[in-house]
Amino acid sequence: MANKFSRRDMLATGAGLAGAGAIGFPMVAHAQATGGQRQTINVRAAAEFDVIDPAFRRGPTDGNVMRVVYQRLMSPKPNSSELELDAASEIKQTSPTTIDFKLKPGLMFTDGFGEMTAEDVKFSFERIGLPPKEGAKESTYKADWLHLVGVEVKGKYEGRITLAQPRANIFDVVIADGSGCIVSKKAVEQRGAEFGFKPVGSGQYQVASFDKQKGAVLRRNPAYKGTRKGNFEEINVRVITDSKTADLALRAGEIDFAVLAPAAAEPLRNIAGLTVSDQPSIAYVWMGMNMEKGPLADLRVRQAIRLGVDVDQMLLAGYNGKVPRLNTALPPQIMGHWKEAPAYKRNVAEAKSLLAAAGVSNLKLKLTVLNQPEYQNMALVARALLAEIGVTIEVDAQPGGTYWSSGKGDAGKNLELYMARFNAKHDPNFVLQWFTPGQLGNWNWSRWNSSEFDGMFKSSDSETDPAKRRQIVMDMQKAMDKTSAYVWLTNEASALVHRSWLKPASVPGWADWQYADFSAG
Amino acid sequence: MQADTLRYLTSRLVTTALIVFGAMLLLFTLSSIVPGDPTAVLLGPQASPEFSKRFISEMGLDQPIHIRMWRFFSNVLRGDLGTDVVSGRSVLGMILNVIPYTLVLTFSAITLAVVTGIPLGIFAATHRGTVADNILAFVSVAFIAVPGFVVAIFLLLIFAIWLNWLPVLGTSQSGTLLDEFRRMILPTLALALGWIGFIARLVRTSMLEVMGENYIRTSRAYGLSERLITYKYALKNACIPTITILGLGIGRLLGGAVLIEIVFARPGLGRLIYGAISERNYPVVQGAVLVVVVVFVLVNLIVDLSYSAIDPRIRHNTGSAGAVG
Repeated sequence: MANKFSRRDMLATGAGLAGAGAIGFPMVAHAQATGGQRQTINVRAAAEFDVIDPAFRRGPTDGNVMRVVYQRLMSPKPNSSELELDAASEIKQTSPTTIDFKLKPGLMFTDGFGEMTAEDVKFSFERIGLPPKEGAKESTYKADWLHLVGVEVKGKYEGRITLAQPRANIFDVVIADGSGCIVSKKAVEQRGAEFGFKPVGSGQYQVASFDKQKGAVLRRNPAYKGTRKGNFEEINVRVITDSKTADLALRAGEIDFAVLAPAAAEPLRNIAGLTVSDQPSIAYVWMGMNMEKGPLADLRVRQAIRLGVDVDQMLLAGYNGKVPRLNTALPPQIMGHWKEAPAYKRNVAEAKSLLAAAGVSNLKLKLTVLNQPEYQNMALVARALLAEIGVTIEVDAQPGGTYWSSGKGDAGKNLELYMARFNAKHDPNFVLQWFTPGQLGNWNWSRWNSSEFDGMFKSSDSETDPAKRRQIVMDMQKAMDKTSAYVWLTNEASALVHRSWLKPASVPGWADWQYADFSAG
Repeated sequence: MQADTLRYLTSRLVTTALIVFGAMLLLFTLSSIVPGDPTAVLLGPQASPEFSKRFISEMGLDQPIHIRMWRFFSNVLRGDLGTDVVSGRSVLGMILNVIPYTLVLTFSAITLAVVTGIPLGIFAATHRGTVADNILAFVSVAFIAVPGFVVAIFLLLIFAIWLNWLPVLGTSQSGTLLDEFRRMILPTLALALGWIGFIARLVRTSMLEVMGENYIRTSRAYGLSERLITYKYALKNACIPTITILGLGIGRLLGGAVLIEIVFARPGLGRLIYGAISERNYPVVQGAVLVVVVVFVLVNLIVDLSYSAIDPRIRHNTGSAGAVG
């Protein structure tokens, strides 16, 4: 059969290519734009949105948008955990349990909801920290405002926050963070559940469009009164859950900024126009043991397991070795980090002798992990290593819905070994709160019931002298180490991938983004 | 409308209601068996035990299955699919928000599969045993065998990265029609390729079967043109199995295009259900699955009814399941 390329075929092909070219052209032009010309940036959100409401936010995607939509009395400076005044013109701790504040006059809420007053501050804080009024829903962040007695309105712009007992971290973790965002009382009451996706704030940006799965378009708020006005007219927060898609969107110029796992960012390191930098995170990952479960109740068995694994090998398998090793609960960026914490090395002979001394042989344990590659890979390495000391491990990889309840309630009593990753904030008490006896049956999956630790936790919570508090926090980490119930693995790392002309901004820890402080040049 | 068709329609509507009820019963049963505490995932670490308890009560998970189902269906009859316990939004609103994306993607993929797969199937049938037929067989099976998300990644690499013709992200923030169209091309293609292969094979087989029938031989004996015989007489009958498969396909794609939606970062019903299942957000799962089941059953009802329009010999009979001659 002879191949003929007729005039009609040629016209059809030409038209097709021209059409494809015409459709594709804006794409190329977009990709070639440089920072100097850009009024809009596109950033990736790795998870879907839920609600842009401080009382019911669910994750970093909501939180990152919240921080530019609402003002707080104080907020962290760009790329710093140091605080500066935001909505407040003055804020002063007048006693260990009282904080007086004065708002800047003329701070306007969007959508015509008027000026911010002390009444809005009272409403914003109390709707999170106090028991809900009849019919209202309890905030999922109630514990942030622990010990809140109330907010007293002393004038149009002035008020007093009263706590039942002192809290050392009230400014860093509460007032200057998500639960310190100030909402319009009138807007919340008027909009009800809609407020979560039609938020009203007074921050640098306002939400122009919002879609749970697609993302949010943030447009500069012309009424914003403050010094950090935002460097772009528009910020498109695109929900891209798959990291490979984020990789391709970065290459194609469709997004300008994304945070990826270091291994996932590897192929992007040599792409012209993109900058990749690895930053240590403050999220902490460990392998824990249930101290109440069978042979694991014996300290020698727990010590044997800690000596039977090789953390570096596990990190190599889980993260290609591209994350820092962690030797204690608190990562180095957090106040009170125990720098001299022992970095345990694998010692098969000693591990075996500890098991023999405990009279344990042919030990079989289940290691419960989340079904994500990094944890599964680390669990497989742990299984191989522990087999050499005579411990047989069954790896139980579970999906999120099942995994996150495996250490809770009665199910938690049957947990043996587990691998966990918790997010952190820049406060030692926030990080260590999950290991207290009060969290038994909830998030204290190792079921460590230590009144000594609890006492130190409470002291640290109310200790306002930084030096004394640092010492208490160090002692808490030492007490944890003595239990041998925790094999600290890593505080992870994030790879920041962005156009080379774009400078991202974040509170140290690289999870809380300051979109308003992103800049070009 | 003929009496037997009316009887058939009534019986199918009853069957539809039973199928929907059965599917929801299965869903409610499974949701009570599946391990995992919804409060652990949905409320985060700070939720108090009292709040967790109230939350479970709000979702109705503290009630036996028959009570939950009764409440669910009585609310559905009032047009209320429930409330998302996380955002406080109505589940119906959430579904209406994403369903246009799903419908557009599903119908564009199926349309592309039909307009490409049927001609390929006819070509393969009319060129049986030739090199072209063998190549088509190979390509079709390859299309069927390769998972859609793998195809999606390759399409993205070729058309979005190497050629830079089309965008990576499957939906537009600007909302312009042209931009939405450009962003639809790759997801549609990724979803359609497997169906193109499937339809091509199915049409080929059906055509070969029909082309051997007596009435085709008779038509040839009457001296009708091969083109007329193929396209007017053979294809019409050969299409019936394809239409059945399309009905199933549309239903499957409504909730099952989740991987394509994830790869192209495109909103959709599949993603909504997947996310809600992962979080144990049962009100959303129940509402969204109900919509999928209802649409699935209705599409297949329409498919069944269309048989008689395509082939007048087919009449519906309530005495037997489906279409009978």
